[in-house]
Amino acid sequence: MADLSVDLGFRTLKSPLIAASGTFGYGEEFLPFFDLDILGGVIMKGIFREPRPGNPPPRLHETPAGLLNSIGLAGPGSEKLQESIRRLRARTPVPIIVNVCGEDDDEFVAVAETFSAMAEVAMLELNISCPNVRQGGACPAQDAGHTARLVGRVKERIRKPLIVKLSPNVGDIVGVALAAQDAGADALSLVNTFLGLAVDIDARRPVFANIYAGLSGPAIKPLALRLVREVCRKAYVPVIGIGGISSGRDVLEYILVGAAAVQIGTINFREPAAALRITNEIEAEMERLKIGNLSEIRGQLQT
Amino acid sequence: MLDERGLIEDARSLGGNYHLLKIAAPGIAASAKPGHFVMVRVSAAYDPLLRRPLGILECRPPYIGLYFQALGRGTSMLAALGPGDSLDILGPLGNSFPEFPGKKVLLIAGGRGIVPLYHYAQVCAERRPLFLIYGGRGKADLPLLDRIKALRLQGLFIFSEDGSLGQKGLLTSGLEKIVREERPDVTLSCGPEPMLAALAGLLKPFPMQNLASLEAIMGCGFGVCQGCAVRTVTGALRKVCDEGPVFPLEEIQWPT
Ligand SMILES: Cc1cc2nc3c(=O)[nH]c(=O)nc-3n(C[C@H](O)[C@H](O)[C@H](O)COP(=O)(O)OP(=O)(O)OC[C@H]3O[C@@H](n4cnc5c(N)ncnc54)[C@H](O)[C@@H]3O)c2cc1C
Ligand SMILES: Cc1cc2nc3c(=O)[nH]c(=O)nc-3n(C[C@H](O)[C@H](O)[C@H](O)COP(=O)(O)O)c2cc1C
Ligand code: FES
Repeated sequence: MADLSVDLGFRTLKSPLIAASGTFGYGEEFLPFFDLDILGGVIMKGIFREPRPGNPPPRLHETPAGLLNSIGLAGPGSEKLQESIRRLRARTPVPIIVNVCGEDDDEFVAVAETFSAMAEVAMLELNISCPNVRQGGACPAQDAGHTARLVGRVKERIRKPLIVKLSPNVGDIVGVALAAQDAGADALSLVNTFLGLAVDIDARRPVFANIYAGLSGPAIKPLALRLVREVCRKAYVPVIGIGGISSGRDVLEYILVGAAAVQIGTINFREPAAALRITNEIEAEMERLKIGNLSEIRGQLQT
Repeated sequence: MLDERGLIEDARSLGGNYHLLKIAAPGIAASAKPGHFVMVRVSAAYDPLLRRPLGILECRPPYIGLYFQALGRGTSMLAALGPGDSLDILGPLGNSFPEFPGKKVLLIAGGRGIVPLYHYAQVCAERRPLFLIYGGRGKADLPLLDRIKALRLQGLFIFSEDGSLGQKGLLTSGLEKIVREERPDVTLSCGPEPMLAALAGLLKPFPMQNLASLEAIMGCGFGVCQGCAVRTVTGALRKVCDEGPVFPLEEIQWPT
């Protein structure tokens, strides 16, 4: 039997597979489909201090093998999320990760403190990379200096491991990654969605009120894989690869370029039990390739 | 709710771009109620990536019936399937219609909006007086009429915009008269957004409970993507897939 466990240095996960924020609801919704405890972790939908309605419809637009979304981080606010986390914990021991958001740095710090104090929460993921909060897609992850300041402030106030989630919509993602690492990030996760545009030719308008939206799904995998490789070559903290994963083979590709673990996102919409299928596929690939543990191939891409 | 591999037993084209599928899906059929819908995976490849939401026309375990219009890529791929083909179906989804025992119920269906209302009529016609208003652009848009006539309805009112069947005009043109004469306790409606918006205005003066089944672009169908938001009159956004698709008509903020 293949051993799926992965070592992040600060914590060992039972599987490299983590459910990505915004694509797994608050975890509970997937309980009818499979035992969540097969996962390395479940990341809650991004959370702000107060409830947010999110962007007006339409919020989704399909592209070939891809999905543009402009959800705008709709959510119930910190207090309600705490209840959801307690409910999920009562049903499964899977590690729960909170995706921390903020309109400004003070809010990021406050939300991080709230969830750092919850015993049910395993770690925090700082979402400095959502393209749907401000028009044009601006976010802290577009600036290395801002990223360093914010990560430093958050780290000072929390006692849980901190993953910092990076944006692909930057010129120098390695620079931002190293800024986050040097400011104290325990791990990096990448990528969030790519900024994209959909046009309605009848109306001669953008499909989305915010004009730009975030692209995810199988269409982005080669783009994301390259960025993960670039960051893995320079960063010493563990990197969690995200983008377009839909099979066990995809997971091994990310591990080969250096990722310690991965997240699956959009595929969960199409296939609620995708995580179960992909877990089985990882095991089958490991047996076929005679790999006992993924650490044997992590970063072993031959060039 | 379960994700089930359905097996197509029968596939029929009804002319125009309308299609019927009879699918063996025993798990879903066992618990589907009128108003529920399913998410159908139309392609084994990743284009289209997402499933398509479709209402349940009828449910005779182990079968469910789907009735759909081939409009875009996804529904056209679905229309190309035949007996023996299988497809992944997630369901039953959504909140469904309450039964309203003993109440006089008026069903208002525009085009393919007949789907959940037909299901309701099939299940509930024996237990309460039911009336149906059914409208479409023309005769070709009302291909289910023979089946509908076989339901135990107390009244059936047909409208077509081109006058090729029933009364000429939009169904909303004859609505007030029917409501005044039949005095229903409840209306259940489903159809294009402009029709529902018009209904919201027309039905306002009457003391009835009005419920409508809505459509929205859906990413998941089970509450996790937040893609299917609809605005209510209070300005709040609700999820059509799991808080709906059935909402009080007057709760929705209709485009003006
Ligand atoms: C709860 C619910 C029940 C439905 N029941 C039925 C039914 O019983 N019969 C039927 O014919 N149709 C029904 N529809 C509409 C049907 O889902 C769309 O016509 C279909 O998704 C179009 O897909 P496409 O790939 O053919 O079109 P495309 O134009 O290629 O689709 C592009 C995208 O837009 C979405 N989309 C386009 N139009 C609609 C729409 N009106 N509603 C929702 N999403 C849309 C698609 O899902 C897809 O994401 C229902 C919709 C909902 C939400
Ligand atoms: C509908 C939707 C909502 C998302 N919401 C969030 C979010 O709240 N926080 C976040 O960090 N990422 C969010 N993401 C980004 C995903 O977590 C992930 O980074 C991205 O979709 C790429 O992975 P994928 O190709 O596997 O989907 C969202 C993505 C989608 C499609
Ligand atoms: S369709 Fe995903 S939340 Fe409603």
